[in-house]
Formats: sequence, structure tokens, C-alpha cells
Amino acid sequence: MIPETTLGRYDVQSAFVAAGTGAEHTLFLTHLLFWAAGGIFFVVMSIALWAWHRNAAPRAWWVWLGGVVVPVIALSSLIVGSTFTLAAIGRVDRDALVIEVTGYQYWWNVVYDPGGAALRDANEIVLPEGVPVTFRLKSDDVIHSFWVPSISGKMDMIPGRVNELTVTATKAGRFRGQCAEFCGLSHPLMAFEVVVLPPAEFSAFLAGLEGEARDADTLQLVQGRDVFLNGGCAACHAIRGVATGARLGPDLTRVGGRASLGAGMWRMNVGNLAGWIADVQDMKPGANMPSFNQLSGPDLRAVAHYLDSLK
Amino acid sequence: MPRDRQNPMWSVIGTFTAITVPLALTAGVALWSLADPLADPVGGWLGAVADRWAGVAAWYGAGPVDAKPDWQAMRLQVMNGDAARGRATFVEYGCGACHVIPGVSGAIGTVGPSLAGFADRAYIAGVLTNAPGDLTRWLINPPLFAPDTAMPDLGVTDGAAADMAAYLYTLGDGA
Repeated sequence: MIPETTLGRYDVQSAFVAAGTGAEHTLFLTHLLFWAAGGIFFVVMSIALWAWHRNAAPRAWWVWLGGVVVPVIALSSLIVGSTFTLAAIGRVDRDALVIEVTGYQYWWNVVYDPGGAALRDANEIVLPEGVPVTFRLKSDDVIHSFWVPSISGKMDMIPGRVNELTVTATKAGRFRGQCAEFCGLSHPLMAFEVVVLPPAEFSAFLAGLEGEARDADTLQLVQGRDVFLNGGCAACHAIRGVATGARLGPDLTRVGGRASLGAGMWRMNVGNLAGWIADVQDMKPGANMPSFNQLSGPDLRAVAHYLDSLK
Repeated sequence: MPRDRQNPMWSVIGTFTAITVPLALTAGVALWSLADPLADPVGGWLGAVADRWAGVAAWYGAGPVDAKPDWQAMRLQVMNGDAARGRATFVEYGCGACHVIPGVSGAIGTVGPSLAGFADRAYIAGVLTNAPGDLTRWLINPPLFAPDTAMPDLGVTDGAAADMAAYLYTLGDGA
């Protein structure tokens, strides 16, 4: 069962809860290091205690064995282990499905299959379970870092560069990612959710992304759509079938269908949406979106309900 | 007379019974009185009854200290409202995006009025009296009472509205 949201959960953003090949390799190496170091510590301490009680003259071969031979063997095997781990994590699969994630202050633009279908979404990344995916990581402004501890290690997003990271999610569920490079005032408020779906559901999700946004089918929703179009929202935000082309802000075609608002920071509901629109600078200081506190009460309600209806 | 009656064992058993049974009963009553009267020993079916009695107990608890009813506190008792649950409910509906709500995590919004000291307010949004019935109805559908309000209808259920109202009425005396 996939939980409703990762907000307030600590077991979905942890390298100790591995749900991807990269995280699994790293976790294995971590355990290996910890137990090997623990074992060595135990042996060294036992010998020290024994030597203390033995009361005999030191012998040179002990120094050679314990000070040179054993460390060389232990460190060499660690080098081999970590080299293989690094090779496994760092391998880029060119044939895998490509997801392009671009860091902005302070949100994530997500494009599935940028070379082909180019399905645009934001702030929530959906992955197929057990299928390798290659992320193309870019930045539009400053250096960000893409980090989903449960799936894989960090990868920086550097302006003017494309960094690639291949991951395979191994467990269906909902996980959490976070910008891991200080990127400005609201850096700690720049997170995202990762939803790992079984391959069939993932295909359905991609197919759903191709369609247009849900129609406004009540008076209030139509009013909300008009506010969106006339209030200036469409200058930065796109909603497929309503207003396309704008790329400065997150795509809102399925904004109400995401579990969280403001790049993984608040629950998605009408209350948070209305508060966000009216006073985004209070919720996320330094964001590029201005606070829309000039909307009338009914207009604010209408546009919040409209965005919530886009699932 | 049956032969058994003459057996001295019977007087021993009789004396033992006469002493232990009242002792056991007394100890039992004493232990029982130590137990939480609102605890639910059988799980489930007594829960509803216990909840109701918890409500009654809260009503009495909020009542007279000086033998006079505290009408001010009593008129703010919300039927079936649980303040502790309400506190969590504010997060669920995103109230904190617009309101400062003391005691609710992340509720630092400045879009709408702060809800500190809410129990002492006379009116809700200037249109409804600040009483449990009006407050729960307001929480469920604000635009119904104030058509020009910016506060949206959040799809709040009856139970959640009662819980939130109960919590808001704990915010008094400068809280």
C-alpha cells in the first residue's frame, strides 16, 4: 500500500531504508565497513588486554603482522569493495527511460522522455519499479543537488552541465528527495516526492500525462480558470489544454493530483493552495512567485478550488 | 444431624470463609476504585459509551469551582468535539497556510487573522456569533455566511469541524 504522502515521515528519506540499487549497494558497503571495523576493534582490544597481562618482551613479527600486513590486506579489500560499489552506482545506462530533472529556485521541473514524448510535470517524480531509469540532471540558476537517499546517492545539478544518474527503484512506495546543496533562502523548503509504481501503473501514469487537464465543470471552477488566465498566472505556469507554453514555473496540469504543494513541503489541499497563492512569500521566502494578495476573496477561493480539481 | 457437621474441619472452613470473602471483596472494590473508570476493559463496544461519559466528565470538569456554573466555559463546550484530535486536523486541511494557530505546528500564516485568543472573540469573521454551532457551520462552509470571504470551503467533515472548534475554544486568556 503506497502511503498518501511522505510529509511528517522519517522512514522514507533515509539511506538506511534502501529502495533502489544505488542505495542498496551503499547500504551493503556501510554494513561491511561497520562490522569489519567493529571486528578489528574487538580483536585489537583483545590482544591489547592479553598483552597487558602477559608481561613479556615485545616481538618484532607482531609489529610487522599487526602494523603492516593486516592493514594492507584490510585496506586493499576495502578499496576493491568500494571501487566495485562506485562502478555499480556510477554506471549510466543509455538505453533506459530518460527523465530530465531541472533544478530551479526552489522547485523541480520534471520531463519524462525529453527526446521523445517530452511529458512535463513538476515536484513529484514517478518511477517504475524494477526498471532502470536514467536521470538527466540540470540546473537553471544556481547549483542544486538531487538526492533521494532511499533510492540513490547525491548528484549535483550544475548550471550549463548535464549530469547523468542511472537508478533502479526496487520497492514500490513513496519516498522523499531533497535539494542537498545550499541554493538560497528557501533551500530547506526544496524537496520532492518520489512515487515508485509497478511498471503497468507507471505506463498508465505516463499515458495520463499526455492528456489535457481536467475540464472546469462547475461555475466556481470556470471562474477559477478565468482567474488563472486573466490574473497573470499563465505567464509562468502552464496547464495543458488551457494555457501552454509558459515555463518559468511548475506545470500545473495535474497539480491537485500531487500529494504535496510547494515542492514537497505542504499537503495538497484547497486551504494550503489558497494560502500559497495569497502569500507565497510568507510560506516560501525568496521564491520567484509573487504573493497574489490583490485577488478578491471569491476569486482566490475559485482559483484554489480550480487548481485542486486538476488531478 | 449429619455426621459431617460434627467434623471440626467445617468450623475451620467456615471461619476462613467468613474472614477471606469480605476481605477479598473489600480488596476487590479498593482495586476497582483505583482503575480508570473510563478505561475500556473489553475493547471496542464500550468505547462509544466511555467517550460519551468522557464528554460528560469534561462538562462537569469545566463546570463550577465555586458552586456556581461557569456559563462562559459551558457555552463553549463543543458536542462530540475532541480538542486533541482537532489540533492534528488543522494540519490536514492546511489552515496554517493562512492563520497563526498557537500550538499547531507550522501554522504561521498571515493571510487571515491570527486565531490566538479565539475563545474570547465575540464574532466569527464579523458575521456569526462565536458559539459552537455557528463555529462548526462556519468551518464547514465559510462562503455560505460571508460570500466575499477569501476563506475557501475546505471540504471539512462534521466531525473534523467539531474537533477543530473544540481546539479553538482552548485558545483563550491570551493563548
